[in-house]
Amino acid sequence: MDQLLQHLVNAVILGGTYALLGIGLTLIFGIMRVVNFTHGELYAFGAYIVYLVAATLGLNFFLGLVVAVIAGVLLGALIEIALLRPMRTTDIDIVMLVMIGAWIVMQNTELLVWGGVAKAIVTPFPDAPLVIGPVSISWLRVFVLVVALLLIAGSYVLIHRTKLGKAMRATFQDADTAALMGVHIKGVHTATFAIGSGLAAAAGALLGPVFLVTPTMGDLASLKAFAIVILGGLGNITGATIGGFILALVEELGAGYVSSGYRDAMGFLIIIVVLLFKPTGLFARAERVG
Amino acid sequence: MKRVLPAVWLVVLFTVPLWLQDQYILHILITTGIFIIAAMSLNLLLGYTGQLSLGHVAFFGIGAYASALTTLGFDVELFGGFRVVHEPWPAIVGFFIGIFIAGLSGYVIGRLSFKVRGAYFVIVTISFAEVTRLVALNWVELTQGPLALTNIPPFTLGFPGLGNYTLWGKTAYYYFVGVVGLVAYLVISRLVGSRVGRAMIALKENESLASSVGIDVTRYLVLAAVVSAAIAGGAGSLYAHYLKIIDPDIFLFIYTVTMVIMVITGGKGTLAGPIVGGLIFGFLPVIVRPLAAPAVQWILYGGLMILIVFVLPQGIVPAAERWIRNWTPFKGRPAGVILAGDSKPGDGK
Amino acid sequence: MRRHATKTALAAIVLAAGLATGAGAQDAIKVGVIQPLTGAFAASGNYVANGAKIAADEINAKGGVLGKKLDLIIEDNKSNPTEAAAVAEKLIVRDKVPVMMGAWGSGFTLAIMPKLMEYKVPMLVETSSAGKITTSGNPYIFRISPPSAVEAVAFAKIVDQLKIGKADFLVVNNDWGRGAAEDFGKMFKERNIKVGLVETMDPPAQDMSAQLAKIKASDADTLIITTAVEQLTLIFKQAAALGLKKRIITTGGSQNPDQLIDQAGAAANDTTHITFFTPWNPNVSADPAMAKAFIDEWKKRGHPFAGLTESFRGYDGIRTIAAAIGKAGKAEPEAIRAAFWQIELSGMNGQIKFNKAGPAGQESGQSNPGIYLIKIENGKVVLPNA
Repeated sequence: MDQLLQHLVNAVILGGTYALLGIGLTLIFGIMRVVNFTHGELYAFGAYIVYLVAATLGLNFFLGLVVAVIAGVLLGALIEIALLRPMRTTDIDIVMLVMIGAWIVMQNTELLVWGGVAKAIVTPFPDAPLVIGPVSISWLRVFVLVVALLLIAGSYVLIHRTKLGKAMRATFQDADTAALMGVHIKGVHTATFAIGSGLAAAAGALLGPVFLVTPTMGDLASLKAFAIVILGGLGNITGATIGGFILALVEELGAGYVSSGYRDAMGFLIIIVVLLFKPTGLFARAERVG
Repeated sequence: MKRVLPAVWLVVLFTVPLWLQDQYILHILITTGIFIIAAMSLNLLLGYTGQLSLGHVAFFGIGAYASALTTLGFDVELFGGFRVVHEPWPAIVGFFIGIFIAGLSGYVIGRLSFKVRGAYFVIVTISFAEVTRLVALNWVELTQGPLALTNIPPFTLGFPGLGNYTLWGKTAYYYFVGVVGLVAYLVISRLVGSRVGRAMIALKENESLASSVGIDVTRYLVLAAVVSAAIAGGAGSLYAHYLKIIDPDIFLFIYTVTMVIMVITGGKGTLAGPIVGGLIFGFLPVIVRPLAAPAVQWILYGGLMILIVFVLPQGIVPAAERWIRNWTPFKGRPAGVILAGDSKPGDGK
Repeated sequence: MRRHATKTALAAIVLAAGLATGAGAQDAIKVGVIQPLTGAFAASGNYVANGAKIAADEINAKGGVLGKKLDLIIEDNKSNPTEAAAVAEKLIVRDKVPVMMGAWGSGFTLAIMPKLMEYKVPMLVETSSAGKITTSGNPYIFRISPPSAVEAVAFAKIVDQLKIGKADFLVVNNDWGRGAAEDFGKMFKERNIKVGLVETMDPPAQDMSAQLAKIKASDADTLIITTAVEQLTLIFKQAAALGLKKRIITTGGSQNPDQLIDQAGAAANDTTHITFFTPWNPNVSADPAMAKAFIDEWKKRGHPFAGLTESFRGYDGIRTIAAAIGKAGKAEPEAIRAAFWQIELSGMNGQIKFNKAGPAGQESGQSNPGIYLIKIENGKVVLPNA
């Protein structure tokens, strides 16, 4: 029973950051219909920025987090403007290939700049964990969960309470009509990609200090993000949030009780199973963002 | 000229081992040739049916493992204590079994995945390759996991009356790969040129329209998947018996990306595309290696890929063909156009 | 046009190839060195390569081997088995090296082994620890690093004083980790030490909290961990976060204690490690004078102290190769291979002498080094009274 509780707590904490990854991608995938292979790279980018600020430059750790998210947003906007906008063709294959190319360039740039050896980020949190009964959680992870939940809430507010959010939802439902009604589609696309990338960078900035920072850390993150999006339904933030927690739960319990070797396979199995039996996702409530 | 070109190509390719002294270059040619075969098979799915399958390396790897395991023999215990023991069989049998099992998995994946389309299909195929990799990594009893399957024996070809001939040296292997490549090329070109091929292209162009005129979309997609997977499996088998070692890293996404780059830059939907793309990306690393760090190389490839997709979205081969067509004087020029250089309409001369 | 272009390209390639093969210094004996200089294991690969260079420079300063200088041709296997096989091919075919050293990771070494059989060139294995390397019937392999079986046997001599009742295993999911679990497990059972859980983790895995939660709940008193320094850092941090209180012993020789202290901080305290070289106290080495000289030269060249736990292998490896070439009397693969069986020299952690391993008639050579037990206490490495 103790073990189960520990697994559950681990899952909840991981799920928060997974949810961030998922929300970011579901927005991009849902509104722009782009198979965003660079999502994982933004995740890694976020982690590397924190490393740069906190470890290399020796500045404040929390400053590093803030810088990472802002940098993620900017990089996302840059990618959208430089690569996606000129691709007027809606041929999904071509866009996908450009994204793959961008992914290769990004990952190897990180490799070139920081090298392939894993990097650790030292945080100001105490090493001794918070112990509640049979369950132990490190303070760093508590912090990660809190920030993740704040960002998830922030995404909700953005989508449902702001003008930009409204524009995004409109574009998602029917881009042509939205354009006719005066929504600046190009701007919405840039904003969507930037926000989604910012969320990915935030997830990476939060998880980087928990684990290690490597140039390939984004690959698994990308695929898990896709699993979450598929679970939760395209464009569905609630679905992505719940999906993130479900994935973390399945991973933790699977690794704990079934087989630790296949831990990362859980995400893929979910993808395959869901797509084959319920392609619209578990939570799709007819297509809509939010 | 069009008919002479392929013949010249073939002559050049087949005489390479006679004048190429450098064994290392020959080695590169062989591995490149194997990847070209795999790229050609990917082209069938990607270029001719328009399905972006990003898990193609799974078929390659399945073919490699199936062939290697057939040749090495194995002894595993399945669910319920049921033991499966397999005695080693000759390598050439492994080759065909690799093709068969890869084709079979192509069928299964085809049947299952074509229910979903577009971006979801991409994700399913990637996931399939990843799951295959994790199985290869974790089912240690069967695949040796990361220890890799080693000492895979080379092919032994038995000719009735002529005795057995084991492919030890590179030259022999080069010809074997060449023959398999030729066969694969012929199969694909035949398929593409046939009625079946035209149906595939039709559904690539406009699926709903094709379906409305009675083309059984799923059936043709599955057929393409089977042929494509089988050929990839054959290439995988060649790879396993050449390197004589195969480990789960063969399923890494990066190899699919390599094949995709070869097909796209060469020209998807053309027969020569994967060959040209394959040669470029097979030799580029060798040429670039002494000049730049591997990370820089990959940045170059990624950048090159983006560039080509922007500038020559159809790939190099179609662009080259167009260029040749425009350059060739006295042939196929519409009447009334002056031959001196490329005159544009509106030049008015 | 296209035909022309392709022909020209092919001709250019051939020309370049021909020119390249011409190059080669006279009056030097070439030794191929294959290490991961880039990629995930770049740090380790560079340590080994730099250790090798120290040995080569030392030997050349004393006149070289057979009157000629040793010329190390160091190639990068990019932490990848296919690449390892490709550079081995290049070294043998293009550079015509009569002997090689490599390739750090067991997967890379295994990938190269068929080439050794094909071209009949011997290779000295300095780090790889998969049992398979010396039991596959490859007579061109000579290994100075211990496979986990040898490590377990060496550990057996001191294990009783640790008073282990029951041990769990947490190992990396490859031949190295699984081999360690198997060999140490066997040794434990022979000594009536119970074996509990055997948990694995993927090499790139970063989240081991599920496995650790399981282990935390078990009734074993000791946890044996086999993996490299990056995962160890993560495991220690996550174990501390979970409040895991068992005694931790690591094996495998890739722990890099200094880096552990640096990156895991307090989480690394009270952990015990089985290592093969103790740069913190060269006096306990098999040859203290040689160890001190090596450590001094290493520091002089400005290399990080943390690298000493791996670089000594490169040093020992090149010295062994030099001894074999000297014994052979000529820089030829077959002669060097035969000579490996006849040499005996002192290494950093014991005598280097090759014993037969593997199937009869095709044995590989395996040397049996000693081990050292160290502990991390209060952010420092200490040698317990062993």
